[in-house]
Amino acid sequence: MAYNAEISRANPSCFVFLIDQSGSMADARGGGASSRNKAQGLSDILNNLLRNLILRCAKEEGVRDYYQIGVLGYGQTVGPALGGSLAGRQLVPLSEIATSPVRLDEREKEDGVGGLVKIKFPIWVDPIANGGTPMCQAFAQAQTILEGWLTQHASSFPPIVINITDGEATDGDPSSAADSLRRLSTNDGEVLVFNIHLSSHHATPIEFPNSEAGLPDQFAQLLFRMSSHLPPHMCAAAQQEGYRLQEGARGFVFNADMVAVIKALEIGTRPSNLR
Amino acid sequence: MEIFAQPFWVPKAGNAAAEYEDAFWPPKRLRTRKAQLRLAVADGATETSYSGLWAKQLVEAFGYGRVRPETLCKDLAPLQERWREEVHGKALPWYTEENLRSGTFASFLGLTFSARSPNDHHGAWQALAVGDCCVAQVRGNVVLASFPLGAAADFNNRPCLLSSDPATNGAIENHLRTLEGTWATDDTFFLMTDALAHWFYQETEQGERPWNTLRDLDTTDEPKPFPEWIADLRGKGAIKNDDVTLFRADLH
Repeated sequence: MAYNAEISRANPSCFVFLIDQSGSMADARGGGASSRNKAQGLSDILNNLLRNLILRCAKEEGVRDYYQIGVLGYGQTVGPALGGSLAGRQLVPLSEIATSPVRLDEREKEDGVGGLVKIKFPIWVDPIANGGTPMCQAFAQAQTILEGWLTQHASSFPPIVINITDGEATDGDPSSAADSLRRLSTNDGEVLVFNIHLSSHHATPIEFPNSEAGLPDQFAQLLFRMSSHLPPHMCAAAQQEGYRLQEGARGFVFNADMVAVIKALEIGTRPSNLR
Repeated sequence: MEIFAQPFWVPKAGNAAAEYEDAFWPPKRLRTRKAQLRLAVADGATETSYSGLWAKQLVEAFGYGRVRPETLCKDLAPLQERWREEVHGKALPWYTEENLRSGTFASFLGLTFSARSPNDHHGAWQALAVGDCCVAQVRGNVVLASFPLGAAADFNNRPCLLSSDPATNGAIENHLRTLEGTWATDDTFFLMTDALAHWFYQETEQGERPWNTLRDLDTTDEPKPFPEWIADLRGKGAIKNDDVTLFRADLH
């Protein structure tokens, strides 16, 4: 599979985020970020991924619809999780996501020269921690949504599904649901399933491993096995960003974010002096 | 020095003409006899806002002799100020405001021809470049110079570019390339933005003579008008889908 289809407004791609909103997400987060619980960590990661996607597609006339976005929550219920005017929508064009956050916060970010700078940080999803972890149902719902999308976009860059969880599914083993999702494809490649594991373990963050051998628990190992291999161009782009990847690296991170994946998607020239 | 210079351009397939983010100078074809002439092409970066405006400002400033390699950072300062004034005067949504925080970017190539008098049939040229816009000097069927990149393998999607933000341009002098050479009657210079330059290098490396096709554009030997010819190349996967600009200069 090539994974080289052009991503454009006429031939957009798609992201589906599966977000764990179960009760266990109220537990403290490990990996040096324990002042915020896992649900807060999840909403930070998701809002930051959406923000990065939008900034990459923003031009002076507005945000170009290179992607459609779905956010499915799983906890007390399973279903669309975007708030505000986007509530209940399964797939939303990126330009609408950009103009419809629930609110616009300000946050501080390192400015690269030792100081801090205030940035606009839109919030689309707030932390929720309630109920069980019906991860299998979430994957099944993503499958239904993407089956519909794929009939309209047979030549597009394949959809990317990013599951953000503490890994403790309560409705069975999600492996086969993830396998089934990965078998969906466009002419350009199979659907990519990536996993972000937010754990209470105080273990060092792990990014894009190629083996489950060094992973800290059985949940991490399961999520690793559920994750697609990174296509070669994503490996190359992640390496350019400073990640040290081995052959066979998978789209799995442990107590870390996944902005590198967003940066790896090619929609045009990205200056090397723009960080 | 008599020069016949002609620009050709086409936006990325799927984009409107208003979304074209390359730029060239002079803004239209010209036939002139002079002792000095400047040509330039620039390519605004896709992933930033108002990069087309920045590219236009760069080529125009170079055309008027206001951008020189020896004083590049100082020469850019008034342009950067002008760009900021133009874009920051507007009410901007959060994403544009955030994008503009790090400025905008463009690849740039400027070429200066000179001769001792307007009637000379040989002289000197000087090129300066930041990024992946390229120039090739061709005499007959020999490529005398390719600059600043020398091979198709040298292109990638992460070039260092000229920024409208002085802070982001900190190390730009390390990425500034200059080259000097001489020209003679019947030389042709092809100034190209990256997609076409990559095609040109690749064809040359495969033993083809891409300069003949480019020389025939807008002549009676032209196989197809430039936009249709580029569309064919895109259709065959021979060229990246991007804004494409060629400035062809024939010297006599």
